[in-house]
Amino acid sequence: MTARNTVFSFLGVALVVVFLLGLSVGSVNIPLSVVLKGITKGFPFFRSFTGGEVKEGYLVILFNLRLPRVLLCVLVGAGLACAGCCMQGLFRNPMASPYVIGISSGASFGAALALLILPGIFSLPFAAFVSGVGTAFLVYRISQVKGKIPIERLLLSGIAVGFFFSAVTSFLMYIAAQDMHRLFFWIMGGFWASSWIRLFVAIPFIGFGIPGIFFFSRDLNIMQLGEESAITLGVEVELVKGVLLVLSSLIVAACVSVSGVIGFVGLIIPHLTRLFVGPDHRVLIPASSLVGGIFLAGCDILARTVVSPAELPVGIITSCFGAPFFIYLLTRRRW
Amino acid sequence: MVRLLLEVRNLSYFIERKRILEDINFKLFPGEVLGIVGPNGAGKTTLLKLISGILQPSEGKVLVEGKSIKKFNRREISKKIAMVPQNTYTSFPFTAFDVVLMGRHPHVGRFKQETEKDLNKVKECMLLAGIWHLRDKKITEISGGELQKVFIAQAISQETPILLLDEPTSHLDINSQLEIMEIVAELNKKKRKSVVLVSHDLNLAARYSGRMILLKEGKVFAQGKVEEVLTSENIKRVYHLNALVRKHPVTGSIYTLPVSFRVNSKDKGEVRRKRKVHLIGGGGSASRMIKELCDGGYDVSLGVVNVFDADFETAKLFEVPCVVEAPFSPITSESYEKNIRFIRESELVILCNVPFGEGNLLNLEAALEALEMGVEVLVQNKVPVEKRDYTGGKAKKIFEKLLDKGAHLVEDEREVTRFVEEFFKSRVRQEVRR
Repeated sequence: MTARNTVFSFLGVALVVVFLLGLSVGSVNIPLSVVLKGITKGFPFFRSFTGGEVKEGYLVILFNLRLPRVLLCVLVGAGLACAGCCMQGLFRNPMASPYVIGISSGASFGAALALLILPGIFSLPFAAFVSGVGTAFLVYRISQVKGKIPIERLLLSGIAVGFFFSAVTSFLMYIAAQDMHRLFFWIMGGFWASSWIRLFVAIPFIGFGIPGIFFFSRDLNIMQLGEESAITLGVEVELVKGVLLVLSSLIVAACVSVSGVIGFVGLIIPHLTRLFVGPDHRVLIPASSLVGGIFLAGCDILARTVVSPAELPVGIITSCFGAPFFIYLLTRRRW
Repeated sequence: MVRLLLEVRNLSYFIERKRILEDINFKLFPGEVLGIVGPNGAGKTTLLKLISGILQPSEGKVLVEGKSIKKFNRREISKKIAMVPQNTYTSFPFTAFDVVLMGRHPHVGRFKQETEKDLNKVKECMLLAGIWHLRDKKITEISGGELQKVFIAQAISQETPILLLDEPTSHLDINSQLEIMEIVAELNKKKRKSVVLVSHDLNLAARYSGRMILLKEGKVFAQGKVEEVLTSENIKRVYHLNALVRKHPVTGSIYTLPVSFRVNSKDKGEVRRKRKVHLIGGGGSASRMIKELCDGGYDVSLGVVNVFDADFETAKLFEVPCVVEAPFSPITSESYEKNIRFIRESELVILCNVPFGEGNLLNLEAALEALEMGVEVLVQNKVPVEKRDYTGGKAKKIFEKLLDKGAHLVEDEREVTRFVEEFFKSRVRQEVRR
């Protein structure tokens, strides 16, 4: 128990540090003291500690650009990691990712439609979200047999549907030459288009989705023993599966629609966290969510600074830095 | 009246149109161990899955404490029935303690954490299963026997009146097998837990069950007390196998010993089927020959042995006609005559490695008589006759006379079957020439 508390305290501190760094670092560096002054501006109590005035330009950057961006990073990172945990648990396979049932391909297809074929009718995030959720629903229906969802069927139909939508997206990119770079950037994933609106769109899905999944973490633990064992231990397996699939699909579709297809986080963060806190989902889900948020916010800082003043898609950073780190841990730990 | 714990009524289960189980009926009373046995594919595991509610029956119903299982929700069933599945596997490294704690799930509310009481219960169950020392070990790192005990502890911690075990010992060494079954027996005795034990190990099931159900091709073939169900007749009809069924002298439980596949005599040549061989045995000396010759497709008879003699049991098993004498009685002249009648119909008499006393000297005389009648005699002498002569030399004398008069002598038991084969081959050759 104390070990768990240590982990969570550490993660809490790390989150605050990354959050403040994320506000301060960028093409325009804002000193930390100014960041602190800025964010306490609205709270008279805290302002008495930080004091002083902040330049209007800093405030605009801080509140209109950086704050929604950092919050969105944390939210998306947490959402992807949590959904990844959930999928790995459902599939009883540590190699599952949030995209395993084809949501990313479906959402990319929606984005391609919105950008290339029907520009201006739907916004890109909206189209991506709708087609992502639609894909999940389609896969879900294909896998259903007599009211049950056999997990192998779900995996296979997810892969098949995913491949189909990838192919269609490639075809759309092939025939529509203009605007392709926009789609390409979107698919690589990034936070340069973050805004308060996107944040508010994502909050309900991710903000309720994570506690929702956490709520079923004991069931998810028991389901690791196999569905039949879980049934005899009193778990309503089909119900739990359905609810978890819906929740994680909504989370992933929301993440993808606001920030594109960011790889690695959903697959490796749950895995990495499991190395430290063990397989108990009651700890793993909140811990992974925190680690995911911290990790993605950190990667976004790098994405903004490495080739400053230009930006890299954050998906490049997550894999480039995350994968070697994970491999290092993998070779050091035996389990 | 005894309260009924579990009742299965007219239960059938179909997949597509294929019948897996048909019209199964049985009852489980408090504090009993019910064994369910049968060949692979007889539907044992499916039956357990239907009882535990993993599968829904196509017809009929499962009643728990008089109430249909459909009227319970999942959590309520889990408070009545616990199940230890056949093989459980997980790639996630939970500790043994965490896994046993999962057994408390039906007792812990969704919005609640496990309480001190749950943790104590887990400790109690792990101590009972003898795995408390493994509490911090990861289940991915312990042995198969230990893992099985973890799942038994988990099922115990569910605190259910009914425990279902699906092949609880199937891949374990004999030590772990007994250890696990003793845990179950103790639970049954001390906590009056009712157990349904599915196993393909007839002896294990016989040893630990009070009553038994024998399934064949999805139907109940026999049910009742162990000794009524496990008869060599039933085993022959369900498993197509000749098996000895005995009472274990030490444990007192029924055990079975598969002896041979039942040979369809049509498979063997017509020639052999008509060849008659008579065995003179006793004291278990002829049992192996009975098996070898019957498997070989010969027409075998046996004489004179006492009832309860091992040879008599073997003869019954292989449906070999034999001349029988009352237990511990000397051979009467009446039995001797019967024996001679069998010998007269035979082409070959085999005198097995029988120890001789005053009571069965007439068996030796019968062999001598056979030679007189012109029937060939084969004498086994693995243990030299002096060492099995308890008549002060009388037996040895007759034995030597036998050899003088042209009986064939074979020292090694394994040579006998080859001799018999050669013997009849040359007979056939002679007959063809004629």
